[in-house]
Amino acid sequence: MINTSSLRKHLPQVIQYLLLAIAVVLVLTPVVMIVFGGLKTRGEFMTRPYALPIPPRWENYGSILKMSSFWLMLRNSLIVMAATTSGVVFFCSLAAFVFARLKFRGKELFYNLFTLGLMFPINIAILPVYLVLRQTELTNTLIGVIVVQTAFQLSGNILILRGFFANIPAELQDAAYMDGCTPFGFYWRILLPLARPSLSAVAALTMIVSWNDLLVPLVALDKENLWTLPLGTMQFQGQYGQDLALIAAFVTLSAVPTVIFYLFAERQIISGLTAGAIKG
Amino acid sequence: MGIHPASIRTSRGGGAADSARRSDSLLTVILFLLPSLALFLIFVVYPILQSVYYSFFNWKGFGPAVDFVALNNYRRILTDRVFLIALKNGLIIIALSLGIQLPLALGIALMVRRDLPGRAFFRTIFFMPYVFSEVMAAIMWLGLYNADPQRGLINALLVLIPGAKPQAWLGDTRLVMPCIFVVLTWKYFGFYMLLFMTGLQNIPAELEEAARIDGANRRQLFQYITLPLLGSTIRISAYMSVLGSLQQFILVWVMTHGGPVNASEVMATYMYRFGFVRFQLGYGSAVAIVMFLICLIFSLVYQRLAPQADYLGAY
Amino acid sequence: MSRKIFTLLSLIVVGVLMLTACGAPPTQAPPSEPPATQPPAAPPPAEAPAPTQPPPAPTQPQAEKVTITWWHIQVADDQKALWQGMADEYMAAHPNVNIEITVLENEAFKTKLTTVMQSGNPPDIFQSWGGGTMNEYAKAGLLKDITAELDKDGWRDTFSPGALGVYSYNGVNYGVPRDMGMVGFWYNKDLFKKAGIETPPTTWTEFLEDIQKLKSAGITPIALGEGDKWPGAFYWEYLAVRIGGQAAFDAAYSRKGAFTDAPFVEAGTKLQELVALQPFQNGFLGATWPDEQVEMASEKAAMDLMGQWAPGAFKDASVDKKGLGDKLGWFPFPMVEGGAGDPADALGGGNGFVIGKNAPPEAVDFLKYISSVESQIAQAKIGLSVPVVKGAEVGLTDPSLIAVQKGAAAAKYFQLYYDQALPPAVGSVVNDSVQGLFAGTLTPQQAAQAIEDAVAAEMQ
Repeated sequence: MINTSSLRKHLPQVIQYLLLAIAVVLVLTPVVMIVFGGLKTRGEFMTRPYALPIPPRWENYGSILKMSSFWLMLRNSLIVMAATTSGVVFFCSLAAFVFARLKFRGKELFYNLFTLGLMFPINIAILPVYLVLRQTELTNTLIGVIVVQTAFQLSGNILILRGFFANIPAELQDAAYMDGCTPFGFYWRILLPLARPSLSAVAALTMIVSWNDLLVPLVALDKENLWTLPLGTMQFQGQYGQDLALIAAFVTLSAVPTVIFYLFAERQIISGLTAGAIKG
Repeated sequence: MGIHPASIRTSRGGGAADSARRSDSLLTVILFLLPSLALFLIFVVYPILQSVYYSFFNWKGFGPAVDFVALNNYRRILTDRVFLIALKNGLIIIALSLGIQLPLALGIALMVRRDLPGRAFFRTIFFMPYVFSEVMAAIMWLGLYNADPQRGLINALLVLIPGAKPQAWLGDTRLVMPCIFVVLTWKYFGFYMLLFMTGLQNIPAELEEAARIDGANRRQLFQYITLPLLGSTIRISAYMSVLGSLQQFILVWVMTHGGPVNASEVMATYMYRFGFVRFQLGYGSAVAIVMFLICLIFSLVYQRLAPQADYLGAY
Repeated sequence: MSRKIFTLLSLIVVGVLMLTACGAPPTQAPPSEPPATQPPAAPPPAEAPAPTQPPPAPTQPQAEKVTITWWHIQVADDQKALWQGMADEYMAAHPNVNIEITVLENEAFKTKLTTVMQSGNPPDIFQSWGGGTMNEYAKAGLLKDITAELDKDGWRDTFSPGALGVYSYNGVNYGVPRDMGMVGFWYNKDLFKKAGIETPPTTWTEFLEDIQKLKSAGITPIALGEGDKWPGAFYWEYLAVRIGGQAAFDAAYSRKGAFTDAPFVEAGTKLQELVALQPFQNGFLGATWPDEQVEMASEKAAMDLMGQWAPGAFKDASVDKKGLGDKLGWFPFPMVEGGAGDPADALGGGNGFVIGKNAPPEAVDFLKYISSVESQIAQAKIGLSVPVVKGAEVGLTDPSLIAVQKGAAAAKYFQLYYDQALPPAVGSVVNDSVQGLFAGTLTPQQAAQAIEDAVAAEMQ
């Protein structure tokens, strides 16, 4: 008796776990395949691409970690990511503050202008953007990559932050002004600290996009010592097209920073997004 | 590029926020807005205008554009068989995303909500593909889809089933779009799951508790409480999903180049082919503008239809 | 909690700084290495003039610092090293010249080159396949006329004229070849034997019969990476060469005829006869050229229609990096019965370098340096090039490659691949249309019509 009723109670949960487990396997398979692929020799990869890597061969990973170009690309990617993220967070929060909390003529016009960016992603704009980079003499500089990435991240993030800022109670602003706060003072000392979770979310999402960007570095950078990791991955795939095991190792290693970073930032992304309905 | 979790609201100002002081000086507005506006005008708006200009020319991209053809490029696009295929594929991706990907994400979000032990683990795993670059995702899946059962895992598993034959997957004009959709789902469903999870989190637990006490069963709870309260998140997710589907590029380009025989062509690969492979920059620019207009029209329609201002994290 | 992410951001900044510190050696390596590795060699050229004529040095105009940008696509380690070595030698001999090399993978190269060309800023020396794409650049004034330099000191005569002609447009030379060969069938002798085929086919009928024999022996007759499109285009183009001969192409190209003329439609029909036999590996429509290599290198497929670079690629694709060795043979594309072409006619092409419009004179001098007989022999030895400079054939040892080189040199009518011979917009349509023939989505008439439409729009 007790058994059947507890079964009935737990059955949904068992099914739930079963479904989730299947989903986990499906999601992880490609990832596991590529990590294992890097642990095989070239020959093993070709003859038995999906067997377990027993014994594991660490040579592929070793040889990539020994490449100075890998570390150089890692450095460039980090520079671009850090600069783009800082720029996006700072500029977007300023602009979102203006749109959410200040009143001025032409506000809607400017705001709508920014939303146009959502409809014109970098994939579409790459050639005219390249021409602009040339005119501003920013090709072959990391700055060029940074400003373009920042510019194309503005629209979406201003929209997000504006939503969050708008939720902060107006009384807070009134009180601050009454205490003699300037608009910047309010922005800097009250708004930003309050909006920290959402700023974190914006920062984290921007980091992911910047880190994975291929198109902008591809057209903006000729010099190998400026390349970022995704560009290196593509190059690497062409260069060692036959050595799938080595490519697998390279792809795995270039993903390691993202995964580490993601594990760090996951909670911030979630709490940031949740904070939309901020407790007033 | 990435998909922005965006709050979409282009028509009217934020009501409550406008209670700001009148004394806000114009100078503050200008100073605060200046950095983003300058970047935006130079690197986004100016290129759009340039694209519009070039779209009226038959221009190979070298030297000044001189061969003015007025609207000919646009006429050609709308009658081109391959563009129509690309458009159709875009619509297929949208339909599948809205019909399969989002419900899947919602289903999983409901499963891993609140009280499920191990939810953090599942959430982490499911979101992980989103953080990989598209190049990386494409390389991973190219290996799985390999037509040779000795090289591709999917066929290797398939031949184990008696009577099943290995498939060409990306090499089959009928299978290529479903195959690409699987990769898109793999990569992006975790992102939408996360959005739904945050949306669910913002639904007050007391509300559901109260409904349960009133005798609502699971289905009723979902239908009358959860779903309506999740409306805003669902709408935003759908909006982002549509825009993302229309703008899909790198994944398709790396995996299939839009082939075989245009079977997986999407608008962005079509544009890239003309701009960077065939040197028809004028025509390529016109394609870019058409894509832009399609997205714009969609956004305007969305705004008309969406009942109220939606933004992320609200319920 | 949320402070964490800003901590992380600052950690990254610190990490970058640390990486910059460790990253410094690689960036600074080039300047510091030469003196370290070759202390006796490096100083003399730099210091030699100084002691002999110290007073005039400041007054006389010293050779100005020049930077040459060079883009090539040899990403394989040994080939990349060969070019780098040559640049280093040249820079050692000409201390005022600095050569900046950019090595790009093929697809990335095409994307990048397109953007720099469209912005009017070509590299000084860069990879080219000549023909239609190069002509577009020449027409736009993006390339430098090097006719005069070629005529000086008999440089022109060192090249085989056919290969050099690929890099000229309207009688003006813009670059030089380094490699030229022809497309033909690379085949696995063992697999042919297993299927009971004694000698390679010489006619289309024999060819189709041999495919049946291979199929009944359970062997994949042909490896094809039609996802990349250009490998399959060779079939249609070669059929057009065999059926129509030079006359058909010339007529269509000069617009006296058209690409809808009978030979081009017939080529499509013959191609679909071949496709109907299902001679290709499973999934060939989505496969790439690297997949094609693996099919051959793993000895699953018996034949592959490909250019001179195939043996090197098969080597790279095999598990032991040794390739097929003696098992690999070569035969020319079979004759089509009743075709107007000559059996010696060839479809092919090669690689070369052209000079960008802003290049300094030193760039041309350097190009001459890397086009020397010695350089060509070195290139041939590592399988980089089938040489085009007279006297460099000695670098070739592989009998199949020698056959390819001789075949290309002896061709009465040498047809450059269509996607290079025709303007890029047309070449891309040729490749796309032929893929349609392979997939059966286009009829031979429709494919020919699509190509003709593109030609008509592009070439008046």
